[in-house]
Amino acid sequence: VDPGNFKTCEQSSFCRRSRKIQGSGSKYALIPGTLNTYADSLTADLVNKENHHQFAFKLEALEGSTFRLQIDEKQPLRPRYRVEHALKGPTQAGRIRVQRETDGEIVITSEKNKAVIHGDPFRIDFFENDVLVVSVNAKNWLYFEHLRQKAQEQTFHPPENENQQEQDAAVETPKAADTIDDPGAWEENFKSHHDSKPYGPEAVALDFSFPAAKVLFGIPEHADSFILKSTSGTDPYRLYNLDVFEYIVDSKMALYGSVPVIYGHGAQRTAGVYWQNAAETWVDIQTSETNVVSSLVNFVSGSQKTPPPAAHFMSESGIVDAFIMLGPKPMDAFKQYAALTGTHELPQLFALAYHQSRWNYNDERDVTSVSAKFDEYNIPMDTMWLDIEHTDGKRYFTWDKFKFPHPLAMIKNLTELGRHLVVIVDPHIKRDNNYFFHRDCTDRGYYVKTREGNDYEGWCWPGAASYPDFFNPVVREYYASQYALDKFQTVTADVMLWNDMNEPSVFNGPEITAPKDLIHFGNWEHRDVHNLYGHMHLMGSFAGLQQRDPNQRPFILTRAHFAGSQRYAAIWTGDNFADWSHLQHSVKMCLTEAVAGFSFCGADVGAFFGNPDTELLERWYQAGAFLPFFRAHAHIDTKRREPWLFPERTRQVIQNAVIKRYSYLPLWYTAFYELELTGEPVIRPLLAHYPLDKEAFGVDSQLLVQDRLLVRPVMQQGVSKVDVYFPAIDDKKNSDWWYDVDTYQRQERSGYVSVPVDDFKIPVWQRGGSIVPKKERQRRASTLMLHDPYTLIICLDRQGKAAGSLYLDDEKSYAYRQGQRIHVNYEFAHDQLVNSFVGKPKYKTLAWIERIVIAGLEKVPSSASITVNGVSQQLEVLQHDNTVVVRKPGVKMDVDFAIKLNFA
Amino acid sequence: SEVPRPLGVPLAKASLYQPRAGENSWTCLDGSRTIPFSHINDDYCDCADGSDEPGTAACPQGQFHCVNKGHQPVNIPSSQVQDGICDCCDGSDESETVGCPNTCLELGAAAAVQRRNAAELHKRGAERRQEMISRGKQMKAEREARRLELDQRRKEQELLRAEKEQLKQNAEALEAEAIEIFKEQQREVDADTAQAELEPQQMRQEASLTFVRYDTNKDGFVEVTELMVDMNLDRDRNGVVTVEEAKYFLDERERVDLDAFVTLAWPRIKSLQMLAEGLFQPPQPEEVTQQAEVTTEAIQPTPPKLSEEQAELAGDDDIEADEEGEEDQYDDEEPDVGVGEASPDVEDATPPNYDPETQRLIQQANEARNALEEVERSLREIQQEVNEIDEQNNKGYGLTEEWAVHDGQCYNFEDREYVYTLCPFDRASQKSRSGGPETTLGRWDKWSGEPKQYSQQKYTNGAACWNGPNRSAIINISCALEPKVTAVSEPNRCEYYFEFETPAACDSEAYQSESENLHDEL
Repeated sequence: VDPGNFKTCEQSSFCRRSRKIQGSGSKYALIPGTLNTYADSLTADLVNKENHHQFAFKLEALEGSTFRLQIDEKQPLRPRYRVEHALKGPTQAGRIRVQRETDGEIVITSEKNKAVIHGDPFRIDFFENDVLVVSVNAKNWLYFEHLRQKAQEQTFHPPENENQQEQDAAVETPKAADTIDDPGAWEENFKSHHDSKPYGPEAVALDFSFPAAKVLFGIPEHADSFILKSTSGTDPYRLYNLDVFEYIVDSKMALYGSVPVIYGHGAQRTAGVYWQNAAETWVDIQTSETNVVSSLVNFVSGSQKTPPPAAHFMSESGIVDAFIMLGPKPMDAFKQYAALTGTHELPQLFALAYHQSRWNYNDERDVTSVSAKFDEYNIPMDTMWLDIEHTDGKRYFTWDKFKFPHPLAMIKNLTELGRHLVVIVDPHIKRDNNYFFHRDCTDRGYYVKTREGNDYEGWCWPGAASYPDFFNPVVREYYASQYALDKFQTVTADVMLWNDMNEPSVFNGPEITAPKDLIHFGNWEHRDVHNLYGHMHLMGSFAGLQQRDPNQRPFILTRAHFAGSQRYAAIWTGDNFADWSHLQHSVKMCLTEAVAGFSFCGADVGAFFGNPDTELLERWYQAGAFLPFFRAHAHIDTKRREPWLFPERTRQVIQNAVIKRYSYLPLWYTAFYELELTGEPVIRPLLAHYPLDKEAFGVDSQLLVQDRLLVRPVMQQGVSKVDVYFPAIDDKKNSDWWYDVDTYQRQERSGYVSVPVDDFKIPVWQRGGSIVPKKERQRRASTLMLHDPYTLIICLDRQGKAAGSLYLDDEKSYAYRQGQRIHVNYEFAHDQLVNSFVGKPKYKTLAWIERIVIAGLEKVPSSASITVNGVSQQLEVLQHDNTVVVRKPGVKMDVDFAIKLNFA
Repeated sequence: SEVPRPLGVPLAKASLYQPRAGENSWTCLDGSRTIPFSHINDDYCDCADGSDEPGTAACPQGQFHCVNKGHQPVNIPSSQVQDGICDCCDGSDESETVGCPNTCLELGAAAAVQRRNAAELHKRGAERRQEMISRGKQMKAEREARRLELDQRRKEQELLRAEKEQLKQNAEALEAEAIEIFKEQQREVDADTAQAELEPQQMRQEASLTFVRYDTNKDGFVEVTELMVDMNLDRDRNGVVTVEEAKYFLDERERVDLDAFVTLAWPRIKSLQMLAEGLFQPPQPEEVTQQAEVTTEAIQPTPPKLSEEQAELAGDDDIEADEEGEEDQYDDEEPDVGVGEASPDVEDATPPNYDPETQRLIQQANEARNALEEVERSLREIQQEVNEIDEQNNKGYGLTEEWAVHDGQCYNFEDREYVYTLCPFDRASQKSRSGGPETTLGRWDKWSGEPKQYSQQKYTNGAACWNGPNRSAIINISCALEPKVTAVSEPNRCEYYFEFETPAACDSEAYQSESENLHDEL
């Protein structure tokens, strides 16, 4: 991509202005005597001491060690935008107690947390168990541009503004010091595009320091390392949903999604800040680690103390609305964020299996024959995808009648084999008067408007296109209704959805997106809501699928996303390129997304652009098999890459990786249920479970699946070994035991270990102390595995113990929410395996336990006995590689049992 | 055939599934383990090779045998056993609760009908094929006869050429002498002569340098093959300098010596070379430098390797310009850049006013030259025809010449957007129905069927795709009573597949024996 198509901070007026404050600082103070305290919150007035503009400040305590801080203008000229629909629902109020109120300092507590509010200069310190974890405005970089009248009043005003003007007269006239002389304050140009900026400057910015942290991470989506880098001397990280093709890696440039949540992590404490703002946002990062200048200064001055890591959020409009999540452990902070914005709900199992996509499968015959080839080569595959070419001229909800004359028959061909189809539905609507959707939107005024009140017209795949205003609930309802099967008659309830291009992508727009002065429902400017556009699109889509079939869990894949979009859709990392660095970044990016709520993340396997060689393709399949969303996809100009088009060995490597994925589906499915239940990410960085190990903080070529598997995909060309980091559980370099899942060879020490790899090897270890459920029978699709028996893999820890859970249900419907489910914990100790159900196991299943594999036993048992309902039975025990296998316990999944190993 | 055996075991392996005598045990077929006989098909995988579970899905690598009585038996992977989908027509891969209907009799009957129809088609098609074979053999015989005749004529003409060559040399000797005398007389008279002679000299020098460059094998002759590496000479811009193209520059000869090169070849080549130098100037400065380097080197005697590089370079440029149907536009422009117009320019020097005797000798020499030229032209024509015949013989018209009649024919297929044309043994092409130029999808390359060679043809080196490879086409061939293209698709970008039917592919006997083989195997 050409970075010149996208703005730098210097080219963005508000970023320039907000960043300038870092040089001078600002002067904000609470106004004495304005403090009000309530059961869960306090309010006060805040003043900018330079221009005397007043602000309303509110601090709320929420349940679960979280505070919410809001700052708005006390009397804005017009309302300022407050983000809607990002939170999963109303917040749960906590309780506060005012501990101390002195001149200029208020101390409140909430459970074991404490907030100290300093009046002048304004600043808030948050303590978790008396440790300072987050300081707000410690640097005095708070910057709040109040709304104002444009200096030259003689400019033309539309008549409807007259009332407004009268009101304005009542408001205090701004002081002389209160001018913003940046040339971009009232209008701005970028390339050939003009932004009219009728409301002038309205930026908000605030700094957050993390005194207990060593590193910062979060704020996806960027093609960068998991740990955020210092932005000293570079542009800030940018959050602005943009359609970027062949994006640059190791870059702070904005991509398709924006999730303004950041975490600070140190060995003792982890805390997070969710900056709830949907306008364009830039984030400066200050960290000691990579900031050469500051370390040099410290060296010269002899000072050992470096300033704590800090983030400066700068948004173009809206209000200050920040959630401070106090941890104290990484998983606590992730769960606190999930408590605010929600989780992906448990997907249908097929969505976790392998997806086969391409832009485009040419016609019905192509789709059917690709599906048949997977069976011919005995490679499992669940879902075929159709990109934009399946439509009649990029008119979504229609089909190309020539290439796809019988969509229902084609879909039946797939569903009869247990497979699914996903079709693309993008938000750009072809401006064609013969297209019903366009006619409806035009007639009913459903499109996003220009400043002049006309339907905005941009350019995208169909040519001239307009964009439904999904911020309008009526539009969302209309959109959702289009998915009803009596409307969209050419699909079935088994056909799921891909929402692409929803940043929105506008080929001829500024930075390939919509102009900021467009007008949305509620008279908000696009500027205020840009990063939420895709999110609102998804709300419509999700409602559509739920209404279409209320008892089937929707599956949607989206490219654009905002905080909370995880409740509706899975994401992928967009238009990547077939080289090794993009493969590496697929893991880094999904790790960051996972801690920002998007566990259901993956990258195009084989890459969207370019033609991967066989080695890169093989390795990509192997890495993809251990990321939550596993889809091969390719650009229309690339060579076909279905697995059988490559030499036999490559095909086998791919088949191997896919089969491995399928064997672990019970673990993935359980992990997604537990995500919905607890908010714990499905994939996790090492620091999530090894917070004390400083060396593990920056390891982003490895991931954990829950706390059970450690995955280190091979992501370098031509290597015969990889260096794997085994994390320490304490500061004495003690480590968990880790068992290679292929050989059950054990790693017992922390630190880097060089591990040999061949073509087929996916370096994966199971943690000693864990139990992993698997299904080791092969099927052509995951839906056909429903009744297949389970294998339990028990890897023992140093004490000879292990524990793990399994979740199962019908893998498709919402019946699980009515209790039709089995959630079971397995525990192995003292040579005995027992289960215990979480709740009553009400789902009726035919599945049973096929075998139990135990690694780490010191002696080989002679036999085993299983006891069910007081009746015991002998089981055969076999030795296999480095494990002991208990043959065919045969017990059903919803039955209590105990299996005891017998030693002769 | 009702030998008792475990579910999923083919009849041929029934004997392998017996308990060991006297014991109730059984050894995996790979010998890896011995297990209780009751463990066979007990829905648990005990053998590494999967042999203990032929009738269940327990072993990942296993095979299930469907008997499919009334139809064809098949093996399916064990991953498809008991998965709720009826794969065997006798329903034996699923438990009774799934309720798979037994459709083998219907399918078997339908397959039999299909086989009969196909056999009938092959039989009738084979009759037509027989006609094609006779015609093809006849054509081949004609070609061979003609070839012999041509060889004979060539021998005659070669003798004649030697004779005419001698006559020409004699006449030219006389002519040269006369002209020398005449020039001697004129030299003092005409002051401009020196000036006038400079130019031919310069031209000769340029020509000589070029000659040396082309004469890569240093045998004192420039041959057709030596010219074929110079992409500047690719007059029709199809990416290849063909023999015909090269020969044009050598005045239709196989090779020329320096003198003939200077007088006959150079005037034709020079204009193209000048054109090429002018044509490949910017847009890309990098290419200009490369081009300039090559040109500089070309002035010195060039090692063969470099001239190949130059050829590639020019070829690459050509392909880039070839995008979509544009090559045809170049074809249209050809007269503008052709040599026809350039040649007169270099021969426009007005002959001096000779005395009658000199003129007579010149006249005689001209006549001798013309006579030789006529013989040589005749030889060239013979050679050309010989080449054509050889080329046809090399194309491979099938084992029995049944394909020969298709050479020279073209078959069209229209879909919604395009008209596709297949001219067997020549090219495949595509033309938009809404007009526009024709795009070459590929030129005849080879037979490429596996394992049956004559079941597929390949056409390669078509027009280049934007951002992609050169187009190519695969022709899948099947039996029918009339030759016809029945479908064209582009499953991979720029790789086209034609379905072509022709009686040439009908072979009743082969079809019979194949279907019998198939039956035997099953």
